[in-house]
Amino acid sequence: MKRRDFIKSSLALYALGSYLPTALLGSKNRFSYRNSNIDSDRIVILIKMNGGNDGLNTLIPFQNSSYYQERPAIAIPSEQSLPITDTLALHPALENWQRFFEQQRLAIIQGVGYDNGNLSHFRSSDIWDTGSNEDIELTTGWLGRLLELEYPGFPDNAPEHPLAIQYNSANLLEFKTETSNTGLYLYDPNTMYSIISGNYIDNLNSNIPETYGGDELAFVRELDHMSFNYSQIISEAAQNAPNTIMNYPNTNIGQQFKITAQLIAGGLSTPFYRLYQNGYDTHVEQLYSHELLLSDLSDAINVFFNEMDALELLDRIIIITTSEFGRRVYENASEGTDHGTSAPVFVFGSGLNGGIFGDDPDLTSLDNNGNLHVQFDYRQIYTTIMKNWLGLNANAIDQIFSDNFQTIPFLDDTLHSQPKTGPNGFSLNGIYPNPFNSSSMISYTLPKNQRVIIRLFDMTGRVLKVTRLGKQKAGSHLFKLDGKGLSSGNYIAQVEIEGSSLTQKISLIK
Amino acid sequence: MNINKQEPITDIDPQNRSNQQSLDINWDIQSATHLLKRTVTGPNLEEVNALINNGMETSIQGLLADQELPSPPGAWVDEELPDWSSLSSDERQAIIQTYYSRMRTFQKWWANRIMNGGINITEVMTLFWHSYFASAYSKVFYPQAMYQQNNIFRTFCMGNFKNLLRQVTFGPAMMIWLDISGSKKQAPNENFARELMELFTLGVDNYSQSDVVAASHAFTGYVTNGVETNYDFDTMEGWGYWWTDWHDFDDKTFMGQTGPWTGDDIINMILDRDECALHICKKLYKWFLYDHVDLDFIDGMADVLRSNNYEIKPALEYLFSSEHFYDPTFYGANVQNPVQLYLGTIKRLKMEEQPFDTDYFTEIQNHLDMILFEPPDVNGWLGYRAWINSNTLPLRKAMLCALINHESPFGSFGNYLNIPSVAQSLVNDNDDRYHIIQIIDNLVLLFLGIEINETLSEQLLNIALDGAEPYDWNINLPAYNAQWSRFEDLLMYIIRLPEFQLS
Repeated sequence: MKRRDFIKSSLALYALGSYLPTALLGSKNRFSYRNSNIDSDRIVILIKMNGGNDGLNTLIPFQNSSYYQERPAIAIPSEQSLPITDTLALHPALENWQRFFEQQRLAIIQGVGYDNGNLSHFRSSDIWDTGSNEDIELTTGWLGRLLELEYPGFPDNAPEHPLAIQYNSANLLEFKTETSNTGLYLYDPNTMYSIISGNYIDNLNSNIPETYGGDELAFVRELDHMSFNYSQIISEAAQNAPNTIMNYPNTNIGQQFKITAQLIAGGLSTPFYRLYQNGYDTHVEQLYSHELLLSDLSDAINVFFNEMDALELLDRIIIITTSEFGRRVYENASEGTDHGTSAPVFVFGSGLNGGIFGDDPDLTSLDNNGNLHVQFDYRQIYTTIMKNWLGLNANAIDQIFSDNFQTIPFLDDTLHSQPKTGPNGFSLNGIYPNPFNSSSMISYTLPKNQRVIIRLFDMTGRVLKVTRLGKQKAGSHLFKLDGKGLSSGNYIAQVEIEGSSLTQKISLIK
Repeated sequence: MNINKQEPITDIDPQNRSNQQSLDINWDIQSATHLLKRTVTGPNLEEVNALINNGMETSIQGLLADQELPSPPGAWVDEELPDWSSLSSDERQAIIQTYYSRMRTFQKWWANRIMNGGINITEVMTLFWHSYFASAYSKVFYPQAMYQQNNIFRTFCMGNFKNLLRQVTFGPAMMIWLDISGSKKQAPNENFARELMELFTLGVDNYSQSDVVAASHAFTGYVTNGVETNYDFDTMEGWGYWWTDWHDFDDKTFMGQTGPWTGDDIINMILDRDECALHICKKLYKWFLYDHVDLDFIDGMADVLRSNNYEIKPALEYLFSSEHFYDPTFYGANVQNPVQLYLGTIKRLKMEEQPFDTDYFTEIQNHLDMILFEPPDVNGWLGYRAWINSNTLPLRKAMLCALINHESPFGSFGNYLNIPSVAQSLVNDNDDRYHIIQIIDNLVLLFLGIEINETLSEQLLNIALDGAEPYDWNINLPAYNAQWSRFEDLLMYIIRLPEFQLS
């Protein structure tokens, strides 16, 4: 009891301000070295509709007679569905989403999946989590790889705030790196800290044997240590949240949104949240259960949206639904649907291009298994988020997926570093690779013959290197920037011509 | 060592076999403890000593010995269905409540079996099959059906896999859980057909969607009311109008073979495939040894399973008497599942005879993510690192410390801990060293998965002594002596170490 009392009183102290979490407000780089791929305070909230959401009963092709023919028992009657275009309507439980759509705050991407869709829940979830092709098994998550690019060597260079929070207890693939997991499982932040700290034994740094047993011990220790550190930060953020927290539905998904809202409002800089809603594997009598699920989800998103709007945080946030697959076009004999392939993805936010992307599903042209064709690869969604929402450069994205995937214009390319252009056609085209190890190439274009000076600064503005190149001809040039003598970290490269200069941030990893 | 007395193994390379077998295994306290920790729940010092004394061969025979079935948790296991339509809604609610309380009784019944199973693998194997054929009460609904399934697991746990698979498939629990019941030829439900191949027999990449469709047509016309099914194990057919009207008697093409296949035909064709034995052996290996499978070893193990016509016991014998199994690299490589972790700890704290604190039992199952009869989905519990996250790890510590300090985040728990008797059980025969030194050695051996270094060892001694000298410490001191509260601190410290999570 004593220990818990002590924890309570120390938490109270934090709230009173003796340890005011200035650290919570954006000083991402304080503890650790970080790469510069992500350059924003933007937040991505992913919701897994677990089990395979029935896309056709969520976004209903309500003018399509095939839909009613294939689903005599479970089609949503057209007069009950909520039209959003001439041919498409939302499930009657999604009134809020209909409003978001009208407000241009909902983008719907049709027919998302991947080639040769796998109909196993487990395999297909793994594919979505790892970002692989159907025939390739990866052991790291797409977000694990992204975050490891940002924080090389994680967890050694673990940042002050958790990189990702997940509300599912399984040790999921999505945030997994080769050696660790960047995702932190979270439940009630208030009790989390007291339980963790009350049972934490500071690491004795004893040797870990080089055996499989040692590997597992290292894993448990690391998780023990990281949970201890993060639990304090999270508890502070939750305490720091304003008291205007709205009335969230008392459902599992509602509570996940509530905690997410507290943490964002409380200043946690975590960029990724993964929420879960179970129950979408609707093989049997799906009408009632599906409606309940959608209505829970819709309510939760609605409250969260309103709250983030009121706190003026909404423009930092994007919400994306994912599901391992859609469902079969025709119903089965149990008034349910079996596993399918593609389904729509729903994206919510105030800073996106609302509307429908892609064509209405063609219910007559199906694959060999009677499933819908895929219009967009799921990694096009991921790529759009990384490039247009988080501002990752092409080099970084190349390291996350084996292929290039085209973006989908539900987000504008606002953050991504365009070639920087100075007066009269002078431009800094980019620095590749970035981050770099031994050397990197600076690409620039001169409008006319002129003198060029290249400088390298550290982040405090101190000049580290100056190279005077003399007069160069008009046209494109490459300059090789040598990392010799520099330590790992962030730098600014500057290309100067007479009367004008352009700069770009680069990172060196030794 | 004779792997199987009935059917000698013919298709194993004899050289390879001798290499795998027991000749080179050093049967000592480490290897005996390793085997026990992986095959029974919460082995204590007495059991470890029994294994060392009996030698490896006899010990393995004892572990794998068939056991008599226990008497059921209540007469309700044979209760017939209520006539739901004649009941008022209050009466229905009352029955549902009764069902829930029966499931809680059933959980405790099983937990007691697990803790009191002696030096025998039966209950751990039953738990293994529960995760393998993971079916959850929340959907199955009838406690009778869950009991039937549990009884099948226990009866066939080391028997023939084909018998086991048929019994499970055509039992009411599985028929409800994966929607076999009510699937009709006009639009068959694919749920069971897919999981049969993906999770129960072949693995994900060894069948096609057209096989799923064909199998789903074969698995039509079988129904259950929740307690009985319309399947006849002798004729291997269904009966009643469900069978005549709903079963698809037409030809289906399954894995290249065309015929009017029934569910049994599909099972037979699947079991003809080599991948099936591999799949089963992988899961056994993962459960009993390590999460990352050694494929060469699995090949040998699967050969044993196949050449013994899917008898499971010879495959287990092969595993537990292999040199591979006793490689010290595997010591501590198992992240303990919650049920075995807490039931094992209760047993080692000598509290297994006491009735369960109901709240404790419910809370610990909920919060450590392993509720008996409620696996997360048909894939069962993933095990290993999936047990450990920022939620479960601190609770695994707090909820087990609660056995000692009676406090947890979810209230206080009242079971009685006789602390001197715990210490007394950890003292060796014929050992001249100070009691506390022996006790700490044995605590490390039994409670921690990995040997610890000198520094930590000294730290444990310091906690137990708190300034006193080793010779001050005596297991015969009365229970009110301050030594025992320090011993409680020591136990809780050990429970909070990362090493405690491993076995």
